[in-house]
Amino acid sequence: MGNKLTRRQFFRNTTGTAAIVGTAIATASPQVHPPGLRGNTRVQQIATNCEMCFWRCGVMAEVADGKLLKLQGNPHHPLTKGKLCARGNAGVALLNDPDRLKYPQIRTGERGEGKFRRVSWDEALDFLGTKLKELKQKHGPESVALFPHGVHSGFFATLMKAYGTPNAAEPAFAQCRGPRDIGYQLTFGRPVNSPEPVDLEESKCIVLIGSHIGENVFTSQVTAFAEGLSKGAKLIVVDPRFSTAASKANYWLPIKPGTDTALLLAWMNVLITEKLYDEEYLDQYASGFKELETHVGSYTPEWAAGMTDLPAAQIRETAHLMAEAKPSVAIHPGRHVTWYGNDTQRARAMAILTALLGAYGRKGGLFLPTKLAIGRIPLPQMPESEKPRADREANQYPLASEEAHGLTQGLINATLTEKPYPIKGWIVYGQNILESIPTRQQTLAAIKKLDFMAVVDVLPMEQTRYADLVLPEATYLERYDPPAIVTTSKRPFVSIRQPAVEAMHESKPGWWIAKEAAKRLGVSDYFPWADPDDHLRRLISPLGIKMDELKALGAVSFDGKPYIEDRGENDGPLFPTQSGKIELVSSVLQDLKLDALPKYEAVEAPPEGYLRLIYGRSPVHSFSRSENNAWLDDLMAENPVWISSKAAESFRLTDGQKVILQNQDGVKSPAITLKVTPAMRSDVVYTVHGFGAQGPSLKKAYQHGFSDTALMTRIAVDQLMGATGMRVNFVRVLPAERA
Amino acid sequence: MPRYAMVIDQERCVGCQSCTVACKSEWDVPNGSARTRVRNAGVRGDYPNFVSTFYVSQCNHCDHPTCVPACPSGATYQDGNGIVRVNKALCIGCGSCVAACPYGARYIDAAKGVVDKCDFCAERREAGLEPACTLTCPANAKIFGDLEDTGSTVFNMVYRLGAQRTQSAEVRIGPNVYYAGRPEHVEMAAAAFPPGEPRTVAAGRVWSGFAKKVVYLAVGTTFLGQAVAFFHQLATGEKQFDE
Amino acid sequence: MTSQTVPVVPAPLTFEESRLMAQSLIKKHQVAVVLLHWFNAIVWALELMTGSALIVAPAYRFMPNWYLTMMQEMAGGRANLLRIHIAVGVTWTIVFVVYAVFGWRYFLHAEVLRKEIGLEGDDFRWLRIRILLLLNRTREELPPQGAYNAGQKLYALLIYAMVPIIMITGWIMAFHLIGTFAVQWAMVLHFVAAGMVVSGLMIHVYMGAVFPEEKPAFYSMITGMVDELYAYKHHFKWWREVKLQQHEWQEGIENEGREAVLVAKRADDSNRAGAARIDPEA
Repeated sequence: MGNKLTRRQFFRNTTGTAAIVGTAIATASPQVHPPGLRGNTRVQQIATNCEMCFWRCGVMAEVADGKLLKLQGNPHHPLTKGKLCARGNAGVALLNDPDRLKYPQIRTGERGEGKFRRVSWDEALDFLGTKLKELKQKHGPESVALFPHGVHSGFFATLMKAYGTPNAAEPAFAQCRGPRDIGYQLTFGRPVNSPEPVDLEESKCIVLIGSHIGENVFTSQVTAFAEGLSKGAKLIVVDPRFSTAASKANYWLPIKPGTDTALLLAWMNVLITEKLYDEEYLDQYASGFKELETHVGSYTPEWAAGMTDLPAAQIRETAHLMAEAKPSVAIHPGRHVTWYGNDTQRARAMAILTALLGAYGRKGGLFLPTKLAIGRIPLPQMPESEKPRADREANQYPLASEEAHGLTQGLINATLTEKPYPIKGWIVYGQNILESIPTRQQTLAAIKKLDFMAVVDVLPMEQTRYADLVLPEATYLERYDPPAIVTTSKRPFVSIRQPAVEAMHESKPGWWIAKEAAKRLGVSDYFPWADPDDHLRRLISPLGIKMDELKALGAVSFDGKPYIEDRGENDGPLFPTQSGKIELVSSVLQDLKLDALPKYEAVEAPPEGYLRLIYGRSPVHSFSRSENNAWLDDLMAENPVWISSKAAESFRLTDGQKVILQNQDGVKSPAITLKVTPAMRSDVVYTVHGFGAQGPSLKKAYQHGFSDTALMTRIAVDQLMGATGMRVNFVRVLPAERA
Repeated sequence: MPRYAMVIDQERCVGCQSCTVACKSEWDVPNGSARTRVRNAGVRGDYPNFVSTFYVSQCNHCDHPTCVPACPSGATYQDGNGIVRVNKALCIGCGSCVAACPYGARYIDAAKGVVDKCDFCAERREAGLEPACTLTCPANAKIFGDLEDTGSTVFNMVYRLGAQRTQSAEVRIGPNVYYAGRPEHVEMAAAAFPPGEPRTVAAGRVWSGFAKKVVYLAVGTTFLGQAVAFFHQLATGEKQFDE
Repeated sequence: MTSQTVPVVPAPLTFEESRLMAQSLIKKHQVAVVLLHWFNAIVWALELMTGSALIVAPAYRFMPNWYLTMMQEMAGGRANLLRIHIAVGVTWTIVFVVYAVFGWRYFLHAEVLRKEIGLEGDDFRWLRIRILLLLNRTREELPPQGAYNAGQKLYALLIYAMVPIIMITGWIMAFHLIGTFAVQWAMVLHFVAAGMVVSGLMIHVYMGAVFPEEKPAFYSMITGMVDELYAYKHHFKWWREVKLQQHEWQEGIENEGREAVLVAKRADDSNRAGAARIDPEA
């Protein structure tokens, strides 16, 4: 009856079971957080800096056995002091992003089809060398333009200059900070630079004009902002939308878009007519007061009220608030200021107002940068270009005079029109060219005229599809980049970026790519340093920093001289303008026969039924850079469009409804979610920039939300320095089913 | 005996979610869940006078937690320092505690099948480090400390500056995350996210109600039945069957 | 007794018949069954002890504090209680599953199932009379039972029904299978099913270990054997089947023997006949 079989079976079972039971017990006790993380001596702390945006906060990477466990702030970083924002913390997800560019590729199908074949680095770099040499021969080296992004793009800048082209432009100038850097340079002799030297933590009155700190998160700036407020600083926020900053303000001025200069002039009017300006300071340091006084005579608060839609009494009150707090008044110069095409003059007005309050170079206002004597790496003479820069005509944009003042849209236009000469090759390094530069249809058309396009990037952003050659760069966590030399900090410092983990897949750091490309182009002499350590050593040696100390701490700081009272004879001019004084009336502009004092010029109003499209940031994203990040996508996957309750009512729209935006040129957005709030003006719609990715290889980001840039078919170009004002597009808001 | 607490400064917090992500990174919190959350408490007022603020929430390590008694296996417990913790080795992932928490502070980690939540970074503190969220917060808006330490910032903020707890008329279980700042901000944050009713999951209600009764009845009846049989046996003196 | 004399209904026995039957043993349980039974007993003891100590929430618990503390200390922590509970439960499941897989032809055979849990008319009558007997409210005789009486069959039915529930819900909870909703209901079902088995055990253990009339049954769970008299009195239908089989076997042997004798005789006869034919003068 099967007796023996079952008995044997029974005993066999129990022994077999024991093994199974063992594992059963093990799996029955779930894994907790990696045990012993804190007391684990295998865990290394590697100091580096972040590139999830461009503030480059200090980061400590916790690494065990070559695996990144976690990122946190670097407590030794003199500016960020161990704080790290949401994007910084999410760098882990960038490292492990499955959509990362992994290996070099060469196009096989039609341009834009997205068909590539995988190649070795050797083949890829040889291909790059061959193509660039071809273009040099056929059209001259000026026919190749570089579109870089970030200070670490210096290696590529060197490469292309050595190659012989004068054509390079990053969006930072003409699509972002350019106008304010020029405006403040004209006034004080220095651009604003980054990080902005705004003494928020010591300020007694903070003024934000179109700046939304809190939604715009740069770690140390938020720290200083919060600190200043907690010490009792007054806050004035000028913004068509009730931002997070506005929620903390003593005054929210819901200004009519495009009229900020009117407000600034009216403030100047109040300060001058009521003698609330810092007379001693101006007497000592400034020139042109009399002209200014005359100039602002007619710009009364009552006049401005009509322009700005703000009560005259409020304009006066806020002027008084600033005056009470002087000279510790921090008028934030803003960061992205390319709004209406008249932005340099607005920046001038902000600078002049700052000067009237005696706040430049004073505690609680704007502090002065302290130079650092970094080393220079001597390079051979750069080849002279026979042809002029292609991004502008001869006398256009007179203030965009320096090499760094490249105009991206100028280069795109030159490619499209072939004037002043054809541009046949583009090297796009980390610049999301189709999303950052408005009028993307022009960009797409220009791309079609290229003989060659190489893209170097970390993620397969949209422009990758159009490339002939795609080179995968390692993330910031896997590479060396030139150190951040920060002078616009109360304690100037050097902060390094060093690899925390080995580069994944076949990605390579930018310095290596540039150096290898240089070999193919025969310009290796321009890269005389052997490796990152050599490069870093040459830069830091004059500062007397020890390499191992710097590598362990991540940053080393020095004593600073942020305020005028700290400075002496040997510290150089306080105001390196032509005259050596603060130029309330700009001598440079006078010489150019342009408005030496800012005038108010009205901007075009939206047509009937249209609202102005304005945009901003989210604290959990760095525009398209973070859109594909798994952790950040979880917090915000789409960008709704904000509209005021009043406007929603008049268009019969409701909160949460799906709508389509159609701009003045008929361009439509995809269906997006509407967010209705009472806390904003009724003549604008607002959204967070950086969504609506068109690169299908970005699995998370692809077509999530909508692109505001795609709706920017019009720009207003600042005639002084070429910036593209982007807040000049108007949209209708239509229910999605109807449109 | 320390009494740990956290204070959120409404005036400093800008709703940037740095704390959310730092915590997620530290404790492998899966997408879709959070140990600490930042939510917008909305906007109040008439144009152009508005009030708006954020509400940062997480496990409150309440004085009288409703989650601890809800846990069938006692996996959720409150340690000597008042921290409510989860012993993952005892947790079966039934989610009774998730429903019992009025603040929605807990989540089921789908990958591991067990419950998780903030424990004030117990493992970090054991190594002498501060919680990941308070460390990373750019605005220094989250402050952690010991309410028994009269020199601590939390003590000052709670007992001298009047930081508030988020409680309602019905749910007053003594949460130990406090909110400080302008009254209109504190009040607005609390009103936007009041504690909910601590719930019992349906299966739990059945267990403590019908199921328990049925089992007691069955076991009781059979036990009694056997007792009767036993006495019957003694009475009739049934001996070993053997004739 | 011969096959002709195997009674169809239980008849009173003579003293001699009783004595003989009391000394004759027949096989009730195979070794596998015996081992499995005690394996189960140990498992159930452990699981009930640890399981009841694991439930601490005031709304659900049913054991006193001192018991919970004692078990916790014995196991070296509550987490260990769960680990033991799971380890034993997993072992138990695996043994049964392996058994089922390798022995399904035997264990899940219709005949076996009928024997263990198949309820017939006799069983229902037996139940009624047995309860009334307990309450001293009848003088009826109990109807004859098979290998397992009605009470035992009911108990087996309960086990067959509850054990899969306990196993499945146990695994769901131990390994967090399916999802939270499943785990929640698994908790309740596990508790109810276990509770039902406990109530069955009340009777089963009493009957097996305390009730004197069933002492042979208890020993059969150790030796595998019962004496014929006990079987005749308590499980007549089964005794009869066994007896008939025995007689059949005996008859078979006898028939074979008789057949052999006849064959031998026939061979012998034909030999003699053959011999006679060969030599008429001898």
